[in-house]
Amino acid sequence: MNGAQGASVAVADGLFEVQPDGPHLIGSRCASCATIYFPVALSCRNPRCAEKRIEPALLPNRGSLISYTIQRYQPPPLFRMDNWEPYAIGLIDLGAGVEVMGMLTGLQFDAILIGMPLRMVVETLYTDTTRGAVATYKFAPAASGPGASGPAETGDAL
Amino acid sequence: MTRPVYVAGAGAHPWGKWPAKPQLQLALEAITAALKDAALSWPDLQGLVAASSRFEGGMGWGLHANEIVQAVAEQGMTCVNVGGACAAGAIAFQTAYAMIASGQHDVVCAVGAERMPKGFIPRPPGSQDDITDSDYLRWVAMGATNPAYWGIEARRRMHEFGTSEETLAKATVLMRRNGAGNRNARFRSETSVEEVLASPMVSDPLHLLEICAVSDGAAAVILCSADYAKSAGNKLVEVAGCAAATGQFGDPARRVPTVSSTVRPGVAHTSEVATAVARACAMAGIGPEDVDVLEMADNTAWHILAWPEQFGFYEPGKGDWMLDHGKLAIDGELAINPSGGFLSFGEATTAQAVLQICELTWQLRGQAEGHQVPGARVGMSAVLGLGANGGSVILKA
Repeated sequence: MNGAQGASVAVADGLFEVQPDGPHLIGSRCASCATIYFPVALSCRNPRCAEKRIEPALLPNRGSLISYTIQRYQPPPLFRMDNWEPYAIGLIDLGAGVEVMGMLTGLQFDAILIGMPLRMVVETLYTDTTRGAVATYKFAPAASGPGASGPAETGDAL
Repeated sequence: MTRPVYVAGAGAHPWGKWPAKPQLQLALEAITAALKDAALSWPDLQGLVAASSRFEGGMGWGLHANEIVQAVAEQGMTCVNVGGACAAGAIAFQTAYAMIASGQHDVVCAVGAERMPKGFIPRPPGSQDDITDSDYLRWVAMGATNPAYWGIEARRRMHEFGTSEETLAKATVLMRRNGAGNRNARFRSETSVEEVLASPMVSDPLHLLEICAVSDGAAAVILCSADYAKSAGNKLVEVAGCAAATGQFGDPARRVPTVSSTVRPGVAHTSEVATAVARACAMAGIGPEDVDVLEMADNTAWHILAWPEQFGFYEPGKGDWMLDHGKLAIDGELAINPSGGFLSFGEATTAQAVLQICELTWQLRGQAEGHQVPGARVGMSAVLGLGANGGSVILKA
């Protein structure tokens, strides 16, 4: 379950999984208190949850934008990206009590609006001589509100 | 069961970039100044608590206190080394406080010293490269620097409360005005809204001058029992409240270096610091309204606006009005960071919370030359460290 399909591998093993309705982040869900975590959790963190029965879970892949920033300077070298240029990072409410940060794609900076519906996509960040195309998850504008299944506007087809 | 504890001495090495001085030397200069201030000398010290740096020194094990005594005074004293990232200085203070309050020791020093690497703080070595480590995932998946987290918070505040770019810039202007009067600050020149907004955009909406730099610096405080405090001859400054806390489940803060939040209604933002502040207040028997001077971690201009609201000083959204109307200035209702704060000092991570307590001590004694809050009697510190570390100290004159 490394998110690889075709020629792409994920930036980190176990990051996402492709389903018929698109890619989903892989996290954890507590079967006892229903809390969702990302990335995978070793234990439920709810202090009032006695059972703490953690199991793998796919996160919702649609949500709305809570806030965002633009990374104007190149991050330290652990981050790799071919043809670096400034990009947006969003904070997305996926519902179910979980908010996730991720790069935004398919949007001009001045078209980013708090509250806008987004859907998760997978895109190549860089090409590595040994690993080939290496991909991360991003969020792109959704055709309409949460729950709609729009066409794939952007992103590598995985 | 416990006994009163006093701050008898405070000392700091000025903040800046000091490539020619080892971290150990910065620490020694701060401790020497603090001991002199307390009219004490090394043989009087029974314990040394160091806020452990992750960047250098400490023999690779964070043994900074041991390194210091081996360099200057081998006399069998108790050495304790504590972690806590940017809140480590507050954890060190808390530890030294407990050593004296318990009656175990009479004179203990808490110290923090740091020399910072340049640029965005990178991931430290020692963790595994896999998805369970957020500080790996945040870099490989999206390259989220620390300012990116604060930019996301600031943008959200603009959306919720209509905070303007100008008001954010004014927070920097206030800090730099305060810092101009402080000989320990690194940036001693005033700035303007125009200059702040003309500085390079780093993480929208935050400009370079709205984000704290990284600096080198060191600070030390001497804590002691009543007898020693009285013999030092300084105006008495008592530790009225002192608390360390961690986060609450459901906290909505976008917490460095995580890439997700599990949010629950009704949980305080930056709950580790809010809880520390609440505990320190309960211990001191005061409320935020009793605080004359607040030294808080202003990693960005956004923190100046948001933190006092999150800790109950006034209602959410009022920070803009408070700033715009001069209420947060040195002569205002609540003086925030008369020292000049991180925005005038730059952050020397583990030393920062100790410096806050030095500054409060000088304020309460009336010795804050160039940046004195008139008649300050109650001072509070508030600091946040990686790993959901919160610390707060309340001093009373």
